[in-house]
Amino acid sequence: MYDSLVLTNLRVLKDLENKFLSDFESNQNIVHKICRIYTTHSDAHNDLFQEITIQVWKNYAQFRGDSKFSTWMYRVALNTAISLYRKSTRKVKTQDFSDVAFKMKATDYDDTEEVQLKALYEAIHLLNDIDKALIFLYLEDKPYKEISETLGISNVNARVKMNRAKEKLKNILNP
Amino acid sequence: MDLLDNYKKAWKNQPEEISKRSTLDIYKLAQSRSSSIVKWIFIIGILEFVILNSLYFFVDMDQANTEYKKLGLENFIFYAQIAAYGILFYFLAIFYLNYKRISTTDSTRTLMKKIIKTRKAVQNYVLFNLGYMALVMIVITIASINTNFDHLSNKQIILIIFATLIATLLILAVMGLFYQLLYGFLLKKLKNNYKELAKLNDED
Repeated sequence: MYDSLVLTNLRVLKDLENKFLSDFESNQNIVHKICRIYTTHSDAHNDLFQEITIQVWKNYAQFRGDSKFSTWMYRVALNTAISLYRKSTRKVKTQDFSDVAFKMKATDYDDTEEVQLKALYEAIHLLNDIDKALIFLYLEDKPYKEISETLGISNVNARVKMNRAKEKLKNILNP
Repeated sequence: MDLLDNYKKAWKNQPEEISKRSTLDIYKLAQSRSSSIVKWIFIIGILEFVILNSLYFFVDMDQANTEYKKLGLENFIFYAQIAAYGILFYFLAIFYLNYKRISTTDSTRTLMKKIIKTRKAVQNYVLFNLGYMALVMIVITIASINTNFDHLSNKQIILIIFATLIATLLILAVMGLFYQLLYGFLLKKLKNNYKELAKLNDED
């Protein structure tokens, strides 16, 4: 009786683990983008990626599947980047950034878009943590309802804050 | 067209990360140890409780008790200690419950609020403890002046009061500074982010 209970539990855990692994693997690009926004060198990128992986797995049992996994993961990942992750104290050199951000597949990639993307990441790095989250969610085309629920502010405030963050970003991109 | 629309297009078309993690990598990462702020707050909080309470082990209690008896303070110290332990367990319980309630699946604002609240329980305990130590020190000074009143000149009494006052203030200042450094170091970023997010909600 007891043995079979343990076995069932183990099987459930294994199922859960497998589901987590496949969900997380197929959505890892989101996590990489968040890491690229909140960190500027590869060590920090890996650190933050690790912490987000831990947090997503730790809370995965609570994910009930009534929302999309990616929606749920946005929240956990952003929370980790904003509130849980301790910024490494190491001095950041600007050239570190280009090493990390653009180790990407450059095939079929438009030159001007590459330049734009680089400028965009550099501009986002100058924003504060909350504005980073807002701009990220805007770029990912998230509706205001989701943005306000993720950050825990009212819909109206989310709009006001978003407009201010966009203004700041525009001023940096096009001074 | 809006300036940002172009950039948004570039964002959408950005290539996938080249150093994608394999399933095995993700499995290993998920099993590794967290180094989050929340974990550090828990560890440092527990350390503070332990360190503050182990200070008493450095005091020779038998000798202290004879001193207290001489001053007629044994009852005061006895009840003060019972109260102090009661309050210690109260703070420990609050601290632990708050810690347990922290969840990364909350909204960002709620999460930050809970982290700050958890940290506040320890801060309040430290404040309580400093107040308690100051109170005991003052009571002992008053009692020793009372007991030896006939043998002391006015000058000596003033000297004792001054010395106690300065010693108490010095200890409080050093502990307060140390605490600010530790606390500031851990939560400065989080507090700023919280303020940034809470700002608008206070405006309406």
